[in-house]
Amino acid sequence: MEKHIIPLKNAQPKFLVLAGDGVNCERETAAAFIHAGGAAEIVHINQLLENPAQLDSYDGMALPGGFSFGDELGSGQLLALKIRAQLGDVFRDFTAQKKPVIGICNGFQVLVRLGLLPFPNESRAAALAVNNHGEFMNKWADLESDSSSVCLWTKGMKDISLPVRHKEGRIVLTPGAEKQVYKTLVKNGQIPLRYATDINGSYERIAALCDPSGLILGMMPHPEAFIFQATNKTRHSNPLEKGAGLQLFENTLRYLKGEENDQEGLQRHGT
Amino acid sequence: MTTSAKIRFEIEDLAAPDVQKVSGCDIRKTSFYLVEFDTTDKDFLQQHGCDIFADPLIQKIHMNGKGADALDKAAYIIEVTFRPGVTDNPAHSAAEAFGLGGITASVASGRLYAVSGDITRAAAETLAAEEFANPLIEKIGVYTPEEFSALNRFDNINLPHVHLQGTPEILTISLDRSDAELEQLSLDRCLALTLDEIKHIDRHYHDNDVVAHRAKKNLPAQPTDVEIEIIAQSWSEHCKHKIFSASISYTDEKGARSEINSLYKTYIKGATKQIEKQRGIDWLISVFEDNAGIVRFDGKIDLCIKAETHNSPSALDPYGGALTGILGVNRDILGCGLGALPIANTDVFCFAPPDLPVTLGAENMPAKLKEPKRIFEGVHLGVEDGGNKSGIPTVNGAIFFDQDYAGKPLVFCGTVGVMPRKLDDGRAVAEKQAKAGDRIFMAGGAIGADGIHGATFSSLALDENAPATAVQIGDPLTQKRLTSFLLEARDQGLYSSVTDNGAGGLSSSIGEMALQSGGAEIELAHCPVKYPGLQPYELMISESQERMSFSVPPEHCAAFLTLAKIHGVQVSDIGFFKDDGFLTVHYHGKIAAELDLDFLHNSLPQMTLDAVWNGAIARKTWHQEGAAAQKLPQPEANAGFIRTALLTLLGAPNIASKEKWVRRYDHEVQAATHIKPFSGKGDGPSDCGAIWLAPHGGEKESAVTIGCGLAPRLSLTDPYLMAQYAVDEALRNVVVSGGDPDMCCLLDNFCWPDPVKSAHTPDGDIKLGQLVRTCQGLYDICTAYGTPLVSGKDSMKNDYRGKDHQGRDITISILPTLLVTAMAKADIRHTERSDFQNSGDFIYLLGANHAGLGASEFAQHFATDNIPPAIDMEKNITLYRAYHEACQNNILSSGHDLADGGLLVALAESMIGGNKGAAIEIMNAEQSMTDFLFGEAAGRFLVSVSPVHRAVFEDHFQGHSPLRLGKVTDEKELSLKLPAPYGQMTIALNEMEDKWKNTLSL
Repeated sequence: MEKHIIPLKNAQPKFLVLAGDGVNCERETAAAFIHAGGAAEIVHINQLLENPAQLDSYDGMALPGGFSFGDELGSGQLLALKIRAQLGDVFRDFTAQKKPVIGICNGFQVLVRLGLLPFPNESRAAALAVNNHGEFMNKWADLESDSSSVCLWTKGMKDISLPVRHKEGRIVLTPGAEKQVYKTLVKNGQIPLRYATDINGSYERIAALCDPSGLILGMMPHPEAFIFQATNKTRHSNPLEKGAGLQLFENTLRYLKGEENDQEGLQRHGT
Repeated sequence: MTTSAKIRFEIEDLAAPDVQKVSGCDIRKTSFYLVEFDTTDKDFLQQHGCDIFADPLIQKIHMNGKGADALDKAAYIIEVTFRPGVTDNPAHSAAEAFGLGGITASVASGRLYAVSGDITRAAAETLAAEEFANPLIEKIGVYTPEEFSALNRFDNINLPHVHLQGTPEILTISLDRSDAELEQLSLDRCLALTLDEIKHIDRHYHDNDVVAHRAKKNLPAQPTDVEIEIIAQSWSEHCKHKIFSASISYTDEKGARSEINSLYKTYIKGATKQIEKQRGIDWLISVFEDNAGIVRFDGKIDLCIKAETHNSPSALDPYGGALTGILGVNRDILGCGLGALPIANTDVFCFAPPDLPVTLGAENMPAKLKEPKRIFEGVHLGVEDGGNKSGIPTVNGAIFFDQDYAGKPLVFCGTVGVMPRKLDDGRAVAEKQAKAGDRIFMAGGAIGADGIHGATFSSLALDENAPATAVQIGDPLTQKRLTSFLLEARDQGLYSSVTDNGAGGLSSSIGEMALQSGGAEIELAHCPVKYPGLQPYELMISESQERMSFSVPPEHCAAFLTLAKIHGVQVSDIGFFKDDGFLTVHYHGKIAAELDLDFLHNSLPQMTLDAVWNGAIARKTWHQEGAAAQKLPQPEANAGFIRTALLTLLGAPNIASKEKWVRRYDHEVQAATHIKPFSGKGDGPSDCGAIWLAPHGGEKESAVTIGCGLAPRLSLTDPYLMAQYAVDEALRNVVVSGGDPDMCCLLDNFCWPDPVKSAHTPDGDIKLGQLVRTCQGLYDICTAYGTPLVSGKDSMKNDYRGKDHQGRDITISILPTLLVTAMAKADIRHTERSDFQNSGDFIYLLGANHAGLGASEFAQHFATDNIPPAIDMEKNITLYRAYHEACQNNILSSGHDLADGGLLVALAESMIGGNKGAAIEIMNAEQSMTDFLFGEAAGRFLVSVSPVHRAVFEDHFQGHSPLRLGKVTDEKELSLKLPAPYGQMTIALNEMEDKWKNTLSL
């Protein structure tokens, strides 16, 4: 039987936030972990390549949004190639150690291209294609949260609104086998978030996918852009109050700190 | 001979987005890559290429045969590839991808458009050249499927390569020529030097000391081509602002003459100096000295701000021009002081109306220019890519339409940056100082022939023979890498000075930095190049993008190089700073140029010019047709007319929502955008953008509001008033959202038609008179409001000379245009939005109206007077201060400024944003009802106030004539009660919303 490898009761879990080669959102993503009570270090991918072993010292990893390699040849494509070619197993080992990973927007696209989402141990079953309207968009989207999802990051989260900012965010499932893949995703609780209304033609309005363990999450909306009410779409009387995006980061830090007393939850993520 | 493999990869999208429809045809776009490898294992390379180019789940690669089925079914296939030497970003990324696998490859990218439908070959060719490609930078082929198949394109693969003619050498340019020959020399080499300037150069070379010095250094007595080119760049209007520095003899409308010694010193710098003195402000850290103005609005960090224009490049290649415009102004911020992080972009466009070819008749349009619609689309995409891919939010802007921008569009790009006050080593970040002995590093991209003569070219009128090399495409990825490298190098204290390689390339950047130490010496052969064969003068003046120059103390060179490697940034040591007073340039060890810095920078004699202002000028149409003024309908005194007028204005291009375009800009990256371009549930228009500074190292509640103002139509009636309206609008926009009018800085960006009288421009003196009036208006309002100008720029030759489609000569000069950008200190706890928040709130109008509809949006659609409303500066600034106090005390529910369209349009916008109704009753207005409802007088706000705060509010604004108009309601309609003969009317909210949101379709 697999055991928990995560050292529980970690006082201040530390996340690696990947940067470089056109990643843009590393600063706000690192800030999100810090505001949620964790630690985060921004590491340039070339620094990581020089010393891949440093990954061991982190409790989790974030692949932030941006335009890695200018989004040429498809969003996330080249960063995924670079990770696979030059980090290879180290990166896979990291995820295999049950350390939480989040990919936001461009980071989600990278995780999908790496084959870590939705099924890390099977062949690719999802892709992120150009929005059906063909254009980049920045708008706030209402999201439906699935309370029965296995996702660690979104646990207990209510329906929220978050900004989306992408051109390639339309989830496509294995052509010809869409229904089957979709059924598995639903059965496994791997669709933690959906758009309340269709904004880009994504299959069944999927906005986020997690792996079957719930530890690896990829999402198109940007939770790190809504850590405080100060950046809410609408006016708020107390702009320093926390924003709805913070909860994702808090959830995962709570889990790493061993504060998650829900035994069932622990088992779910641990096995 | 080494053998190599060539493979063409065509990528078919199996999950393509919705089919694009253009001109009634279905368009399917696919991309392809031509790759040349230095190895021959084709199977391996094909497999590797497939991994790189395709997502196997949704894409299919074709490397032989017929390609995708869609191509077979098309009526025509359009193939587009870049011309040799043009920046090809997808290809660069692909080459890098092959490099990851240890494979060396040359790559070129291309696009295919399969056009299906009823279309002729000629129409397909037009479509290709206008819609899908720019012949200036791209090669276009139009084929039937049979023709395309017969090309054997998977076997006949030819990558575009640059082949430069001639051997690089240093030439000597003799100035012993007749005047006519000297003028021809200036023209032939695109030097943009006047005869007087060339003679000034000639005199310098005959100076005894110079002659002796050149003989000693074994230099030719006559200037080298490298020297002439450096001088021409440095003295270009673009770099030197000769008109703004000129001595002007000005005659006003009463015939009174006055002498103005430099508009810039007198009115721009003069205003700021005067304000600094009269207000005793201490927050101007660096103004008019660096690449950008630096101000202190926060207890922890400093801010810098700058706006630029990129008009000529955008006219030739709208996408590349705008992209390099935004990336260029970002580098101004990166190179401000010891470097700042760009945290917000702004963009303002002035275009011809997209439907102009329809309203005017296509035959009357300039023959060789792009259609207004294409310019709009291209510029927009350039700004979208420039901002989004760099991770800088675009938070504010405007689009203004007028037919006088059909010759040259105006593309203003602005950026705000943030910098720490001090580095760890104690140096102030706002100051830089290259020292003798510091090494000179060029960082970023390599040099190519792109952007040769950009500075001098933009100092000339645009004509049909503009050089293609003046066009460049930006590379946001390279710049993003450069940005993160620069900021880390700054924080580690690795360099002593930095600047952008902008207009004029190395000649300007090194030429200017050399002033800090007193000299510089470089070796051009050490500069990385995109391809061999560039002339030494080209290396010196090329404006190839994404480059910056650093001065690095010798002890930091190793660390500088190591850091560059981590960030994937190319850096090259090209020389050193010195203090002998010369700029010395070598090419393969030989001196190519040695110029006295004092001569180069300080010797140019001041220009003397005449200016006249004779009062209002009637608009002259540049086209043959439509010269007879279009008859506009007369306003009627009834409710039906008010309704028609309001709906007409809501759909007018200058007022209608630009949401479709603005949503394509990332306005929230960096997670600090406090006020976004659209406000409320209903996405009403925001008056300005606001950036929260805490995420950037500022104080917890601190923010800035960023807005803009322009009023070009007033420039014909009264440029003095135009300047004041631009300033008032910019200030109003930032104040209405919570900005502090007493802590607000401004930028001035002038775009003018040629104001120098000549055979080409017989009315140059009048245009210069307009400029004088504008500067006077600007000075007067800035000093009255106490808002200092901190940086600015001018672009002076915005004219087009060419022919229309019937071969008739046309000259199109832009409306004289002043853009004012404002940035004010704000507090996130006390900002306001434009959308109505709560039903039951009272709606008030603050500030007095002034009669007159001249130059208003209303006047574009209905017959009216030509009187522009007056402006009362003292009253306005008093109101702004009172308004700010009200924000600080949180007694307002919403605040929206009255601008284009006036009161009713502002009301409709607040309703749309808040998804609320309004019940309005106006029983007596001081002016005529049309003036009152549609006038655009400055200094007015539409606010809503909770009943709880009503008494406090009315008390607070006593003396500002608060006029209670009615209430916010839950009924989704505007109910408007007006005095007889107008009576009562209602307009449904969704009708207004539909007009506002859905009219501006392109």
